[in-house]
Amino acid sequence: MTETAGAAASEEQVRAQVAAWLAENWRPGGGGPQWRERLIDSGWAAPTWPVEWFGRGLHRDMRRVVAEEFTRAGAKPVALDVTQLFANTILAHGTDDQKREFVRPLALGEHRGCLLYSEPGAGSDLAALQTRADRDGDTWIVSGQKVWTSGAREATHGFLIARTDWDVPKHRGLTFFWIPLDRPGVDIRPIHQVTGGSEFNEVFLTDVVVADSHRLGEVDNGWRVLQTALGFERLIMGAAAGGSSEQRRRAGRKDTAKADRQSPWTRKIGGADYIELAKTTGKAGDPVTRQEIARLYTLEKVNAWNGMRARADSGRGAASPLASIGKLAMSRIVHTGVKVTTDLLGTASVLDGDEDPVAAEVNRSSFAAFVTSIGGGTDQIQRNIIGERILGLPKEPEVDRDVPFRDVRKARATRRFS
Amino acid sequence: MGTFEFTEDHEALRASVRGFVEETFPETEVRRLMAAPTPLERSVWERMARELGLQGLIVPEEYGGAGAGAVELAIVLEEFGRRLVPGPFLSTALATLTLIGGDPAVTADHLEGIAAGRVVATVALAEEDGGWDASGVRCEAAGEDEWRLTGTKSFVPDGMDADLLVVAARTDAGVRLFAVDGGADGLAREELDVFDLTRRLARVRLDGVAATPLTATGDGSEFDRFLDAARLAVAAEQAGGADFALAMAVAYAKERVQFGRAIGSFQAIKHMCADAFVDVESARSAAYYGAWAIAAGSPETAAVAPLAKAFCSDVFFETARTNMQVHGGISFTYEHPAHLYYRRAKSGAQLWGSPTAQRDLLATRIGL
Repeated sequence: MTETAGAAASEEQVRAQVAAWLAENWRPGGGGPQWRERLIDSGWAAPTWPVEWFGRGLHRDMRRVVAEEFTRAGAKPVALDVTQLFANTILAHGTDDQKREFVRPLALGEHRGCLLYSEPGAGSDLAALQTRADRDGDTWIVSGQKVWTSGAREATHGFLIARTDWDVPKHRGLTFFWIPLDRPGVDIRPIHQVTGGSEFNEVFLTDVVVADSHRLGEVDNGWRVLQTALGFERLIMGAAAGGSSEQRRRAGRKDTAKADRQSPWTRKIGGADYIELAKTTGKAGDPVTRQEIARLYTLEKVNAWNGMRARADSGRGAASPLASIGKLAMSRIVHTGVKVTTDLLGTASVLDGDEDPVAAEVNRSSFAAFVTSIGGGTDQIQRNIIGERILGLPKEPEVDRDVPFRDVRKARATRRFS
Repeated sequence: MGTFEFTEDHEALRASVRGFVEETFPETEVRRLMAAPTPLERSVWERMARELGLQGLIVPEEYGGAGAGAVELAIVLEEFGRRLVPGPFLSTALATLTLIGGDPAVTADHLEGIAAGRVVATVALAEEDGGWDASGVRCEAAGEDEWRLTGTKSFVPDGMDADLLVVAARTDAGVRLFAVDGGADGLAREELDVFDLTRRLARVRLDGVAATPLTATGDGSEFDRFLDAARLAVAAEQAGGADFALAMAVAYAKERVQFGRAIGSFQAIKHMCADAFVDVESARSAAYYGAWAIAAGSPETAAVAPLAKAFCSDVFFETARTNMQVHGGISFTYEHPAHLYYRRAKSGAQLWGSPTAQRDLLATRIGL
């Protein structure tokens, strides 16, 4: 690398470097595997990664600059240092050998990951997981069951957290792995969800042999690696859905403002545009309906304003607690929305499928609402987080604290869906 | 100045008002004023104008004010709301809103008096039936060059102390706002017994009282615009009260011990506080968004104003109730301040339009 790189590079320098590289390498209408390979090896696909590991060693503020130059040249910006949570975590905790072996195939898209975290007996209390990894020379023998794994059928590998020491308290005996899924003993089964879809899977692991070279971080230090991985997951969610992340603020400010202008008055909550539905069902003049709709509309609006306020706060460099309330607020919105649209439909809401497509959509949304109120931390866990981390209220005493996990009362280890 | 982007000047204003309020209106003083014949102390009122310029905040500069707008007013009202400051600041601010932009021949003296701290003003909208929009106005205005008002206004905040009353009255051409001198002949006022002792209300009888029109004859759109501004001003005050009630609840949940642990460690308490936090922050967002909408002259104001008034009313009441529940038995004593917030929240929700009425108006304004 001959040009100036690293955290000290100025915006002008970076801009010039990206533009020069694109001028040489990007052809309008281009793309494809060869372009992807050149892009990965150039470091511009992950500007903040170290120079020796497929990056440019730039400050995170430069992501915006790089993305702008790509867009200017008509090329799609790629920010693997935001979106590639697997590579991000491996770069944070892996050995040089692991970085060499694992990162490039991920960056190229040859390897795809999934998250083997939750278990039937470990949902909100993830540290109570019971999948075991027992050492056998240079390998580990893994057995257990993971659940709610999205993308497992498309994945080549998975981040696995498993118990390696049963004689210490629950957080301390866990170890983190990057495991190949094409091994004997890995059985992936789609979950038949209430929505009719199957985005999630169960992953059964039976005496799966995993090389020790696939362990990330120290033995029994998996909880810390997991926190890093969860942090990168939040970075993605922040970039995709709002919140206050620096990346979003820098990279997406204009898009955000545009979205705020366009979207706040959208009303497709609860599976239908509830204001239109009130008109078509002849209930626009009904006093009770008007109250319910005004309430729902208000919840929707204030949540959108909270998001705008969080971004304005983070724009001033203040970490905004508002970023933490969006999920809980959205849960109330979607469940309230379903109640409103169901009431508007009345008896017709019992229909489904082609019999009444509007009712079908409302019914589908009624189940989808639980994705918000259960998935990614239940409403009750969200309230604990708000209470403890934002308001500073003391934690509930934990009966399994400082107790060897072996002696802790556990949920049933496995539950097989027939 | 984008929406929600508070400047350093805004933060400085907030800090100075908070300092003034905490110093001037500690709970002991609030309680003393609750029991006093009037919550208005002219010396404090004048000092507030002289040292902080609060009454003149939104008064145009040519009349001795600071020429600030809805965002700055919201900041001050939020801070006043946090400490339940008794006295006619909100009333005077609402009256000021009716004067700004009017005929200088009518409004100049009033605005100068308000900015200088000489004048206490209020707005008399509702009547005995407690309606807050134009349809409830029965007080009659007669005349052409010289107007006379006859009727009874009620629920007039700080009506006993006001030097200037802005009165909604019916003319042949619809409802208009009139300025009435507090010392005018034919004006009689009586204090109402009220639940919220930090906000005094009066009944005002007008018997052919001389009055000066503030709004042009017309379709009532000016009156509606004033009502929207008033709704958002009240919403900001309520957001401040709710914020303080939540802070009280959280502080107590950390310090009160039962069953060998701080009660805030129980999820039953913690989750009440977490829900209140979501509500209170949302209420602040609604009040701020509304303030910015007014400041920007945005057409969104028509929907945001009733939305914010309904929402902030409900959130303040719910939070004040949560605060009492978290405090348990102690909140049932007169000596504890939790009931003061409950009183302010419960009463304030109904003043200037109930949450139910505001939601119905919102429904209309979003197309239902």
